[in-house]
Amino acid sequence: MLFHTWPFLVFLMVVLPGFFALRKTRLWLPWLTLASYFFYGWWNPYYLLLVMYSTLLDFCLVALMDHCPKEGQKVEVLARLTGLRFDDRVLKFAFAGSVLATGGIVLLATWGPRTLRPTMAGLGLIVLLMGLGALYSSRRIWLVISLVNNLALLLFFKYARFVAENLNVIFAWLHLPLKMADPSTLMPFGFQYLLPAGISFFTFQSLSYTIDFYLGKMHRERNFLRFATFVCFFPQLMAGPIERARHLLPQFHQFPPIRLQNFTDGASLFLVGLFKKLALANYLSFYVERVYDNPGASGAPALFLATVAFGWQIFFDFSGYTDMARGVAKLMGFNLILNFNNPYLATGLGDFWSRWHISLSSWFRDYVYIPLGGNRGGALNTYRNLFLTFFISGIWHGANWTFMIWGALHGLGVLITRELERSQVYRDRVPKLLKQAGVFLFVTFTWIFFRADSLADALLIVRRTFTATWQNPYFPALMLGLVAVVWMYEFLYESRFRELLQSSFIRVGVAVGLLLYLCVCSSGGGAFIYFQF
Amino acid sequence: METPSLPTQPAAAPAAPASNAVPFGVNEVRLSARQWLATFVLFGLVALLTPGVWKRIERFETGPDYRIPYALSKDYWLYEWRLEQAAKSGRIMVLGDSVVWGEYVLPNGTLSHFLNQQAGQADRFINGGLNGLFPLAQEGLIACYSRPLRHQKVIVHCNVLWMTSPKVDLSTEKEEQFNHSRLVPQFSPWIPCYRADANERLSTLVQREVGFLQWVAHLQNAYFGQKSVLSWTLEDDGGSPARYPNADRNPLAQISLTVPAAPPDDPQRGPRSPRHKAWSTDGQGTTRFDWVDLDTSLQWRAFQRLLVRLRARGNDVLVVLGPFNEHLLAEDNRPAYRKLRDGIATWLQQNQVPAVVPEILPSGLYADASHPLTEGYELLAKRVYADERFRRWLE
Repeated sequence: MLFHTWPFLVFLMVVLPGFFALRKTRLWLPWLTLASYFFYGWWNPYYLLLVMYSTLLDFCLVALMDHCPKEGQKVEVLARLTGLRFDDRVLKFAFAGSVLATGGIVLLATWGPRTLRPTMAGLGLIVLLMGLGALYSSRRIWLVISLVNNLALLLFFKYARFVAENLNVIFAWLHLPLKMADPSTLMPFGFQYLLPAGISFFTFQSLSYTIDFYLGKMHRERNFLRFATFVCFFPQLMAGPIERARHLLPQFHQFPPIRLQNFTDGASLFLVGLFKKLALANYLSFYVERVYDNPGASGAPALFLATVAFGWQIFFDFSGYTDMARGVAKLMGFNLILNFNNPYLATGLGDFWSRWHISLSSWFRDYVYIPLGGNRGGALNTYRNLFLTFFISGIWHGANWTFMIWGALHGLGVLITRELERSQVYRDRVPKLLKQAGVFLFVTFTWIFFRADSLADALLIVRRTFTATWQNPYFPALMLGLVAVVWMYEFLYESRFRELLQSSFIRVGVAVGLLLYLCVCSSGGGAFIYFQF
Repeated sequence: METPSLPTQPAAAPAAPASNAVPFGVNEVRLSARQWLATFVLFGLVALLTPGVWKRIERFETGPDYRIPYALSKDYWLYEWRLEQAAKSGRIMVLGDSVVWGEYVLPNGTLSHFLNQQAGQADRFINGGLNGLFPLAQEGLIACYSRPLRHQKVIVHCNVLWMTSPKVDLSTEKEEQFNHSRLVPQFSPWIPCYRADANERLSTLVQREVGFLQWVAHLQNAYFGQKSVLSWTLEDDGGSPARYPNADRNPLAQISLTVPAAPPDDPQRGPRSPRHKAWSTDGQGTTRFDWVDLDTSLQWRAFQRLLVRLRARGNDVLVVLGPFNEHLLAEDNRPAYRKLRDGIATWLQQNQVPAVVPEILPSGLYADASHPLTEGYELLAKRVYADERFRRWLE
């Protein structure tokens, strides 16, 4: 269900009144959970099981983690193994349960349907690890299980085919008699092998809870429904912002206060998001698709303009989604974090990443960069950690060499601009506008790898952008005008004319203009780009 | 990842940040309740007044024998406007599909033209046909875009072509693409071969109810080649390599404020057109149709509902049934057709709907299974006009 479609409006018109009607009961939270599951199940009801499984497991793992002593305390493993002598009954139950479940899984894998075997193998590994976690009463093992489980789901659904295909190429090249099976053959009961929408988002969100609890940054959530709602909260389930448990979970502890401002703010955010998506992103996508679908037929100006257009398309598409997500959450009184902050006005790549997809950038900073060592251990280690973080971020976006190169380019770019920013000449003498233009051009260049269908296409586009003939790009003047107006608005908003834009007259005029433009000009549109991640 | 200021250690204390500390947004168009109210009032006024004002600004030249141009077949707002114009002078609307519209003939070769000729008046009978229509769509057209059609004399043509197979009856399970999908029932009754997603169905329902959106569709149909303004700017010329002539054109300049008329010499229609010839000249033999049962036909039920709706609005309805090109039917297929035709006639009689069932035209006056040629229309009009039931109804 997409925010800019009529079914979502109908959904919202059912969910919102129900939510407010239940405000004085304890049912508002189950209602929210139910609505969120319905929202996700609308896309594919089978994969709802995946969200539920992931949620249940992480909830249990943190509960078990909570029953474990702090690291460093000695555990009598032998006594536990021989006499089931556990200090904690929950851990004892978990150990016994794991052993029994392992037996059941082995039986099912042996005697059950053959298509179940790969799933049982994966599940068996998780249960075995759970047994070990209980036996050693180790918080670390519970964390590892959560990491393994979430990342395995992500790896299987997102990267398995890519890995298998590439390994098969290598095996063939080495003349090895090996062949990796296509991951679709591992699906139980012949289920279709599809990338579950939003898997990268809800797994990261759930992981943030287990990691934060492990690090002692937050308390355990004892209410399962509250945790389930946190993982699958429908406004941000499909494409973020990736919320932290310590920010969103506390908001589900009590019914949010009903304020008129929630409705006006929520509607304001939603309107702007809708405009970005329908009037801008979808429009730009027509041009980008035309050029990128057949890069060999386009001249240099068309390729250049299509790449710039894609830079704006992805910004409008993703920030538009985020605005709508935040708007819908706000209508109910919940606050989601800011995910975009004028990224194309950034003066450095580090600055860019503190403005673009902020929730993901900060996730990688907290859970990848800092655990890797962060900026401790000298310049060389810092650079290594930065590069790795960006490279992994590239991989997160998709199973394709193009995303890896995109991540690597950003990693290199960040290292270079970091060095540049250290020099006084760059800091003080280079005009801000030039820095902004430099960042914009670099980011635009990297979008080629992000958008191209294959590495070959990306390289062709890069080559032809600089070598192809100059033909009329047929870039619509209206498109150019729209982007120029939005860019101008951004610049004005960060200038001393900001107050002018905040006047009632301008605001109402802009809102009426947006509504009329949406009715008259927009042409419907497809899914959000980030749903594929 | 703000690299210069990356913290060296994770924050130690578990703390839930105050939820109201989250910034609202950037570049926000943040409206207060009053501002929203002003926005709604302004937007509502514009949306409410524009279609009406537009009718005063835009030139819509009709004249005798006017029919909605082929290119504007999906401009339902224009269709309603046409009905509005015609309704004012108490004329007789002739409603139907491409048989009434005149698929193979020029505007002066249609049924309504020859009925006018018989009546000795220039524009007593108005061509209310629409190309590509069928009963399921016509029902939607009458329900949503024909509000001026009240307390009038109306002739409805019934074309049994839409019952010649489950496929054209739209009662098959296999997905089918068809014209005027935005006019057919979206949810109830369920059309099994119509597979639009929920969003498309709901957007159709919304558009039917909101005059402003219908007016927008009119703009798109009349001036932007049935595309949105945005898609129009990216339209190619179909050449190789493709060119995009609209890329640097001003969309506003497209709006000429005159409803486009049909080309005066339509090469696809009229006696001089290569299409305007008898069905049998291609050596096409007889055929067998898989006639649907009246009890299960979706198109027939839609036609029944259409008549009920028209009469409920106080219209005086007369049905012209056929004449279907029976010459084209294989001998053993004719009884099934006659049974169906008689079933329709009986139902009309039972429900006291005045009906004319004209005699079949000579074979050479049909262009295909249901469309007459110019001379065919002329003969049909004569026969209809001479029919006692028709004359009684007319008086």
